[in-house]
Amino acid sequence: MTRFLRTPDFTLAAIALLGFVVLAFATSGNLLSAGTLGAFFRFLAVPVVIGLSQMVVLAVGQMNLSVGALTGFCAMAAAWLMLEAGLPAPVAVLAALALGLGVGLINGLLVVFTRINGFIVTLATMTIIQGLRYGVNGPDTFQGYSAGLRAFGRASVLGLPVVFLCALVVAGLVGWFFARTVAGRRLLASGGSPFAARLSGISNDRSLVVAHGLSGLLAGVAAVITVAASGSVNASIGDDLLLPSFAAPIIGGVALAGGMVSVTGTVLAAFLVRLVDVMQAQFGINPRWIDLIIGAVVLGAVLLGTVRQRLHDRGSTA
Amino acid sequence: MSVATEEGRTESAETVRKPPRIPWWANPRVGLVILLILLIALFTALRPAFLDTKLTLVPLQSDISVYLVVGLAQLMVLSLGHMNMAVGRMAAMSAFVMGLVHDQLGAGLVVSLLLGLIAGGLLGALAGLIISRTGVNSFVVTLAMDFALVGLITILYTSVTDGVAFPTLPAGMDALRFDTFADYCLGDVCGPRIPLVVPFAVAAALLVGLLFRFSRLGREMLMTGANIKAAELSGIPTKNRIVQAHALSGLIAGLAGFLLAANNGAFSASIGGEFLLPSFLAPVLGGTLLAGGAVSVLGTVLGATLTQVIYKGLNLLQFQLDQLQLYIGLVLLAALSLDRARHVIAERRGAKL
Amino acid sequence: MLVAENLIKTFPGVRALDGATLRVSPGSVHALLGENGAGKSTLVKVLTGVYQPDGGRITLDGDDLRLTGPMDAQAAGIGVVHQERNLIPAFSVAENISLHHLPHRRGVVDRARMRAEARRCLGLLEVELDPDAPVATLSPAQGQLVEIAKALSLENRVLLLDEPTASLTGDEADHLYAVVRRLRDSGRAVVLVSHKLEEVFAVADTLTVLRDGRSVASGEALAGFSQSRVVDLMVGRAYEQVELARREVNAEAVPALRLADVATAHGHRDVSLEVRPGEILGLYGLVGAGRSELAKAILGLGRITAGTVEVHGKPARIATVGEALRRYRLGYVTEDRKDEGLFLDQQVTRNIAVTVWRRLARLGLVPDRAERRLALDFVGKLDIRISTPRQVAGQLSGGNQQKVSLAKWLAADCDILIVDEPTVGIDVRTKAAFHELIAGLAADGLALLLISSDLPETVALADRIAVMSDLRIAGVLDNDHDYPRMSRQIIRMIHAETHAEAA
Ligand SMILES: Nc1ncnc2c1ncn2[C@@H]1O[C@H](COP(=O)(O)OP(=O)(O)OP(=O)(O)O)[C@@H](O)[C@H]1O
Ligand SMILES: [Mg+2]
Repeated sequence: MTRFLRTPDFTLAAIALLGFVVLAFATSGNLLSAGTLGAFFRFLAVPVVIGLSQMVVLAVGQMNLSVGALTGFCAMAAAWLMLEAGLPAPVAVLAALALGLGVGLINGLLVVFTRINGFIVTLATMTIIQGLRYGVNGPDTFQGYSAGLRAFGRASVLGLPVVFLCALVVAGLVGWFFARTVAGRRLLASGGSPFAARLSGISNDRSLVVAHGLSGLLAGVAAVITVAASGSVNASIGDDLLLPSFAAPIIGGVALAGGMVSVTGTVLAAFLVRLVDVMQAQFGINPRWIDLIIGAVVLGAVLLGTVRQRLHDRGSTA
Repeated sequence: MSVATEEGRTESAETVRKPPRIPWWANPRVGLVILLILLIALFTALRPAFLDTKLTLVPLQSDISVYLVVGLAQLMVLSLGHMNMAVGRMAAMSAFVMGLVHDQLGAGLVVSLLLGLIAGGLLGALAGLIISRTGVNSFVVTLAMDFALVGLITILYTSVTDGVAFPTLPAGMDALRFDTFADYCLGDVCGPRIPLVVPFAVAAALLVGLLFRFSRLGREMLMTGANIKAAELSGIPTKNRIVQAHALSGLIAGLAGFLLAANNGAFSASIGGEFLLPSFLAPVLGGTLLAGGAVSVLGTVLGATLTQVIYKGLNLLQFQLDQLQLYIGLVLLAALSLDRARHVIAERRGAKL
Repeated sequence: MLVAENLIKTFPGVRALDGATLRVSPGSVHALLGENGAGKSTLVKVLTGVYQPDGGRITLDGDDLRLTGPMDAQAAGIGVVHQERNLIPAFSVAENISLHHLPHRRGVVDRARMRAEARRCLGLLEVELDPDAPVATLSPAQGQLVEIAKALSLENRVLLLDEPTASLTGDEADHLYAVVRRLRDSGRAVVLVSHKLEEVFAVADTLTVLRDGRSVASGEALAGFSQSRVVDLMVGRAYEQVELARREVNAEAVPALRLADVATAHGHRDVSLEVRPGEILGLYGLVGAGRSELAKAILGLGRITAGTVEVHGKPARIATVGEALRRYRLGYVTEDRKDEGLFLDQQVTRNIAVTVWRRLARLGLVPDRAERRLALDFVGKLDIRISTPRQVAGQLSGGNQQKVSLAKWLAADCDILIVDEPTVGIDVRTKAAFHELIAGLAADGLALLLISSDLPETVALADRIAVMSDLRIAGVLDNDHDYPRMSRQIIRMIHAETHAEAA
């Protein structure tokens, strides 16, 4: 128990809870009203999933700069399939997931076969995907697609939006994948010490492809959630997801060097970022200040983490 | 206290065979040059205007200058294995200070430039200080700093100017914007058609090259990047080196901001908004790894040139925005893959003595 | 029967194997010997699929063996413990042991089976370790044991051990060799690479000697060789160990380094030591006694909580290694060369010259020529085998890497040098050369603190020996270089200390 109290996850949870309570008081309970609370969690779903999508590649020591663009592209493709190709929503959803997986696999294969740094490969594929995303429907907006899907996006169970619950389930699955499955452990081994992993018969190349594929699949999930929850999509979707995709896992304690993941941390960090967003909406603050505040909060969080660690170190040696 | 006997030395000389000669085309820089020539030939074949001095080549040189300096700013921290996600915003803050000093105090070009560069350097130093004192990853620190600065810059511009840009420029900035050396003559001899901003970038590249190649400071930064524990245990003040590398990164970013302001003709809030990706592209295309411990300044020059040639060429072919992006991505991938193929072939040859 | 014939392996600039031949029969322990850089580890890596040979043939029981990767070797029943540690730090002991064949049910790791397997393998070595402890929390010796347990976890026909005892204590090594003998008796073949010839002669049956990548003896019975004959083969000519010259230490001189009642955040208590100029003070203790941590605390890398450190009679406050070097001319040759001593992907010359850049620099610029001259000077003096001055340190053999990390500090021209386990993994001749070198440094007036777990080495070199046990100094002895007597005294001292602790 005391060990848990010392984890970064606990620090994050405490900060998140504190922030939430403060915000609830500051809005004189408005935050807790059914509508606001629903919206709060509904728009938390995508940041959570996109953060996980980035976390998966960070686990093998890579980065995926194309997550945001890919989310937008999959979302546009799904809407196009429903509106222009007239396919039923479930098919379009599956197609979006498959598209995400496919592009992710291509990223992974490019990294493996060209041996070029993943940062650069996904940077190049990002620009390509941005072009494709725009190509689906130009500057125009898709709307009025499948009523069922949109109803799904707005549905709630016990006051919590279904899409948010979906995101949590996805998070649970990702956590389980890394903690318990052979494939997940192999990914982490490759990320932690590629040479040692190779000596143990693990194919680092396969780990890279799997990680990128999984990252693409999760971007597809984020796309489906976006299509369902927002009711309309256009070519700018995903542009603002790149930085949050890094912010969530990294604030959540995932190292860029690879070899580790923290699903709880990523989810909590996404929650924190969302809190700041809501604060802006509630108080009508100049959005510019919000950027400043997010920056300060992130720095504050990391500083606090280090200070705690220092105090802890000192306490244990004395 | 010599321990090696004479026999010992001749014996070791025996085992040491002559290293295989690495073929000249195995040098990654050569690959970039060939690629560059191929692309220029391609663009010229498609649009002869590509070799038009006034229309293309002069503005191209100005652009390359700006993005070379941006790449150098990133290169400074790549030497440590760090990243500077706030290059663009450091450039913007630096440019803001330049504009402010001129606008409010009426300072001239040189004074404004120097104060602006100092501001950039201080911002970088702050980032470095936070990183080295807390041990938090540079990516996170500079990303957070970027967020904070984005907000700050807009707020500053709205409170000091009309919200977008300073209305005036120091005297001389216009010359930097429009003139080439061809406009300056000594009797009949005029300079080449090279924009005045180019020497700034060349000087920056030379200084950074000198720093990493010959100076103790630069070498110790590289050693810190290669293995920070061993560096600390070899007596290198690693914390100071981290602060210094980030400070120089901020300072050089400030110079890039200045050059862009000169090209655009205004100190504006939008400066630096497009810097982040090119800042990585130039060094990484040039062969610098993100891992730290090794940098290539010449590669950065070639990388910056290559990216700008691609941009300019595709622009000239008048693609739509989406197609433009598509092709930039594809050309980049093709370029990188070709380079990789060359490398693999070279390795195979090299392995067989 | 595993046979490798005429193996060739070339790295850019070096032919590491040049027609090496090895024959190992089942039911025997085969010693693979050679100087640093002779190609032993390369041979081990070729036999386990890590490297692909450029020529030659490997057969197992007469069948051609093509090893395209480590998995192929595993499938053929060849297990290995490499010279360098290859564990995943964040994973548990159990997971590391089972990493190449994680037990699972439909893709989900079966942790109970994994733990049981770990207990079984650790049990073979008679090691008590928590299977759930992350490897990152283990000491180097424990890590080594986990690595060995990992190699034992598969029922291999052939087991290759590349310097398995380099970081083990005597007791741990004994357990390991008991297991090796048991494996041999059950019909397996074990290949043992080691520089500790006493151990090799105690356990091995047959031997192969490599010199410059060629086999100069292969497959002969060990019984027909004497230790000195083997050394001659390794070196390539008649080799005679030089007696170290005796030195006189001026006992009146002001100590160059003095610790008085020092306590540290790591837990050291009441540590008092003195090293005079021209003296070698041996700091002996078992692995884990806290010697390296003490050295690091002196250099400001750990916190000193009480007591005083004096350099040349004046109180010294050292915050960083840089300060120690500049202000007090105090240097520290680290134990862990891979992580703390070397810049593996930097050139050898830079690795050596890094401590002297400050001295060489003119107006902040380091002249290339001066740097190279200085570095190559030490390459010659220590007989470091490099193919070109631009070779990166990571490509050198283990022993040569160790020399580079010592050269760095010799170049720094210190008054006081703390040397931590300088001859781990170093061949006989180089070890003797190192000893001569260290004695020579003392004769030149340097004060040396020699941290070593090698008792014969400590007795051979030190003028006085401080024995450390459980973060305290158990006592300081004057060394009379009579090995049996000294070793008995020291061992008794360590035991007395642990008994007092228990009482
Ligand atoms: N990856 C590599 N690249 C280039 N050269 C290498 C590489 N690995 C080994 N060498 C070279 O091959 C030779 C043999 O090295 P090896 O590691 O096999 O020696 P060793 O006999 O194990 O020595 P030691 O006792 O010091 O461990 C050395 O000269 C070394 O520099
Ligand atoms: Mg070896």
